[in-house]
Amino acid sequence: MTTASRTAPGVGAIREPPGSASVRRVRRSLTPLGLRGRVTLALAVVALVLSALVGGAVWISVSGFLISKRTQALVAQTGANTEQVRRGLSSPGVSAPQLLAQLPREIGSTSLLLVDDTWTTTSLQVNRDVLPAGLRSAVLAGQPAHQRIRTDQGPRLVVGLPLAEKGSAYFEIFALDELDQTLRTLSTTLWVVMLAAPLGGLVLGRWALRPAFRPLDRVAAAASAFAAGDLTARLDPRGDPGLVAIANSFNATAEKLEGRVRRDAKFAADVSHELRSPLTTMVTALDVFEASRARLAADGREALDLLRAEVRRFEHLVEDLLEISRADAGSADVVLDVVALPELVRLAVPARLQDRVVLAPGAEVWVEVDKRRLERAISNLVDNAERHGGGLTAVVVRSRDGWAEVAVEDRGPGIDDSERERIFDRFARGRGTGRGSGAGAGLGLSLVARHVALLGGEVSVTDVDGGGARFAVTLPTYRDEP
Amino acid sequence: MRVCKTPGVPRSVLVVEDDLRIRRIVSLALTSEGFRVTEAETGEECLALLTARSFDVILLDVMLPGRDGFDVCRSIRHQSGAPIIMVTARTDSHDVVAGLEAGADDYVTKPFVAKELSARIRALLRRASGSGVPDRVQAGNLEISPQNGVVLRDGAPVPLTRTEFGLLCELAATPGRVLSRELLLERVWGYDYFGDSRIVDAHIRRLRTKVEDDPAHPRVVLTVRGMGYQLQP
Repeated sequence: MTTASRTAPGVGAIREPPGSASVRRVRRSLTPLGLRGRVTLALAVVALVLSALVGGAVWISVSGFLISKRTQALVAQTGANTEQVRRGLSSPGVSAPQLLAQLPREIGSTSLLLVDDTWTTTSLQVNRDVLPAGLRSAVLAGQPAHQRIRTDQGPRLVVGLPLAEKGSAYFEIFALDELDQTLRTLSTTLWVVMLAAPLGGLVLGRWALRPAFRPLDRVAAAASAFAAGDLTARLDPRGDPGLVAIANSFNATAEKLEGRVRRDAKFAADVSHELRSPLTTMVTALDVFEASRARLAADGREALDLLRAEVRRFEHLVEDLLEISRADAGSADVVLDVVALPELVRLAVPARLQDRVVLAPGAEVWVEVDKRRLERAISNLVDNAERHGGGLTAVVVRSRDGWAEVAVEDRGPGIDDSERERIFDRFARGRGTGRGSGAGAGLGLSLVARHVALLGGEVSVTDVDGGGARFAVTLPTYRDEP
Repeated sequence: MRVCKTPGVPRSVLVVEDDLRIRRIVSLALTSEGFRVTEAETGEECLALLTARSFDVILLDVMLPGRDGFDVCRSIRHQSGAPIIMVTARTDSHDVVAGLEAGADDYVTKPFVAKELSARIRALLRRASGSGVPDRVQAGNLEISPQNGVVLRDGAPVPLTRTEFGLLCELAATPGRVLSRELLLERVWGYDYFGDSRIVDAHIRRLRTKVEDDPAHPRVVLTVRGMGYQLQP
């Protein structure tokens, strides 16, 4: 569609009322990630790997350090307590429970003493079953040992030291809740950091790539602007040195294309201009003939009618061609007037088709338009429906929310999805549908698009339920109704 | 549309066109429509003819060899208020606006239909005053006498072309009422719908240079934004 078209809020609702037109399907193919996506993804993966390595290293060293520090302290304390127990046992008259009660003790720690096959403990909840068998036997064999265990109450450190006598030992069980909490916090932090790193990598990657891809974006923008019809779209060859070659070759190509389009337009304008003089003679000569129609024989009258019809068609063709080439040359003029839409539509529809004009709710609106252009647009659509769409079925005028719509419906085969974008292109001709196979059809619809775009409106095509195409022209309504 | 047939003396039309075939066929068509047609091939020939006699309407092609249509139009305007219809080959702003600025009363675009052309000519020749127009209208320092075809500004006659006079009389018929450009196109130029409103604007501009003390700040022929024009009540 043309560049000047406006998107109308709320018009979508008008253009495709439920049930009257088929909803256009948008097919989207899975596209590969593209350079930008691949680079960003690679950055994210690298960030993930790095953060996992660093996180793992931090975890190993910090947790190892904390655990060994704490273990050392507790083993030392157990050593001191063992010494005190040993001394207590050698002094007469001290019972094992008394001895244990006198020991300095960390909150939550429990002592177990094995002397002469008798266990003494400072806690009712903790008995010797808690002690791991391996540790117990190692200590009883005379080997000091410590081990971290997990109990129902939480993590514990068991330290065992043998006493002088064979078969006796002192054990102490310490709570490791605090250390455990610290390690848990550390591990949570490390996990968060590790997972956040690739996200950060993604964001950073996009941010860092933006300036790198900006030249490419500019190339894409210029190319699509050119494709959309802005023949003056060029790239600035200064700036990025990597872009200079692309910019120069793009500009050279654009230059050539623009020159060619302009030459074509000028040629078309010149040709149609030259055709106007003989046309004037022909049209006027027909008028003179018409005056003496009564004196002609029947076959002469028929010949006159045929000639008149052909000359009129020729005239329209030349006008369309001239209009198109003028628009290409950028010299289209727009004379705006505020007019009542239904009146203009009636004037654009031939007398024999007046009964097809339908004034739907909101039809009585004013629009600020170039009367000639809108009239040509509508009559071209009507003409298209009559000649290529199997006949006009309705011209519906309506408005909603500040937008007016004139819809021209026919009973033809409709327009294929694939044709819809290009049906308004200059020399688009329908394939296989029969639409556009007649002379001038390609020009007619592209002119409609141009006229409507110049008036700040939009033209679209949808299918009518039960077959047929529906060409809709949407225009902003005039606010201050005169 | 109030089209007056021209009873009695046929109206004279001068066709200025360098293309022989177009000139001949237009001449034939207008003759069959009841006009008395004189042909001129160049601008110079046209101006020479005008020194000898006058015509009711001049049909002037824009693209003439030598002096072009705009130039010839300006020369005619210096000596005559007769309606001039420009024949342009394009509807470009440039040609149309230039023609109107040069003093043309109306324009047609090639290829034109002879019937439409004669309708344009008749509209321009129609007597400006219809029924219900008062004998004398006073607006500011203007005194308009539609029946006599006279406009006095501070007592001195103002030289208006036929079309300018018709336009002023339409506005004077209902002082204070706003007339849309469409209505003026219909009443003064005989257009049914697809008239070019730039024609009205151009004539209002020229009318103001003749009747206003300061055409940039009009006090007699007023613009009503988005609606049209009115004569100061």
